[in-house]
Amino acid sequence: MILSYLVRLAVLSLASFFLVHAVLTVALNRLAPWLLRLAERRRPSSAARLLLAARLFPSIASILVVAGVCIPSYLWLEPEAAVEHVGVACLAAALLSAAIWAVSTGRGLRAIILSARYMRHCRKLGRETRLAGEKTRVIEGAGGLFALAGIFRPQLLISREVLRGLSCEELEAALRHERAHCTSRDNLKRLLLLLAPDVLPGDGLQSLERGWAKYTEWAADDRAVGGDPGRSVSLAAALVQVARLGVNTEASPLMTSLVADGRDLEARVDRLLGAAPGCESDRQGLPAFIPVSLFLAGTLAAASMAPATLQAAHRLLEHLIR
Amino acid sequence: MLAVEDKPAGLSSLGPLEIAVMELLWKHGESNVHQVAQRLERPLAYTTVMTTLDRLYKKGWLERRKWERAYHYSTRQSREAWEHQAAEDFVTGYLVRPHPAGELLISCLVDAVGQNEKLLDELEKKIRLKRKELDRRGKS
Repeated sequence: MILSYLVRLAVLSLASFFLVHAVLTVALNRLAPWLLRLAERRRPSSAARLLLAARLFPSIASILVVAGVCIPSYLWLEPEAAVEHVGVACLAAALLSAAIWAVSTGRGLRAIILSARYMRHCRKLGRETRLAGEKTRVIEGAGGLFALAGIFRPQLLISREVLRGLSCEELEAALRHERAHCTSRDNLKRLLLLLAPDVLPGDGLQSLERGWAKYTEWAADDRAVGGDPGRSVSLAAALVQVARLGVNTEASPLMTSLVADGRDLEARVDRLLGAAPGCESDRQGLPAFIPVSLFLAGTLAAASMAPATLQAAHRLLEHLIR
Repeated sequence: MLAVEDKPAGLSSLGPLEIAVMELLWKHGESNVHQVAQRLERPLAYTTVMTTLDRLYKKGWLERRKWERAYHYSTRQSREAWEHQAAEDFVTGYLVRPHPAGELLISCLVDAVGQNEKLLDELEKKIRLKRKELDRRGKS
């Protein structure tokens, strides 16, 4: 198929993204068990950052390679007047790339829409109040709802039943837990995970996401108790109380519930009651993927300025387009 | 999910050791016999673990590849797919009987929820004990 200069650029960019992403995803699927073992040996907050960075790495690195090497080499070395035939394999890779982007963008948009709809529903049903200085929406008849919903301005949602059932200490510990999620912008990270393509077969990426979700909860527990044994017990008691009232985590995909995963409840309570979890600072370090991405971007920027790199990339693109 | 013809043998055919091995492989990913034996909570002979892995492979629950003269095993299904199939097998197995009684099915579900309540009771007990311990420490 003969395509114009700019359409060819778009097709090549998409096809290159697909290939780089596929290679990195396959590699990450193989590395996932090792990464999970590595995460087990770190503090929960650090483990969560590691797994998030690993899960997002294929998408970020692929975008950087396409934007930093493929596009500049094409613009610099491809004669604008040249008419070139685009092969079926290249077109297929570009179409697959467009499809995986459509799927992940659709997934992200769906999550945003569902989240907005759920917040509207809660605004209609709930009554706004302030709990320990936090703007909170109290909802009648919502079972064991104790969650932080929303992305940029997350709001606490608590059911009247939970509010009645928890003692002051338990409520304070639970509020500190949700505040920790708010500080580390976990709902935004959840959205990033939904937007990151994941269509190749293999359980590796999902296991990283599950690991991230678990360590995020553990890290929020640690920040909430701050090494105080009394607060640890209060938080453990709050978790059990909320679990008893029944938890609905399906209400919104961009929501962090106090009891997010029933299967992890026993492990969390045992952790809180065992050796007091370490004191985690409230201050958030830079997420690990930011320095990694900056390093990659810098390396790519340096590489893309070297004519030899661009010529090599252009030769590869010529092979790809045939 | 696996295609119907690829469907492994029924879940009810799995014993406690086989389930423990499946759990380890989901948690740690691809492993050889030695690694699985080391990670098991109770110490078991190498040959016992090898036979268990081989049996799971033959039942269709595991995949294996040879690498450096040792078999490396990995699960064929994700944990979610496995749990989905467990629920599906249970309900289908029950409903294909000549006179399926909905009440019995519901009573089983209630029992299962009861187990969850039991877990919560146990956790509450642990919390009470810990509170007492902290109180004692505070007084002394």
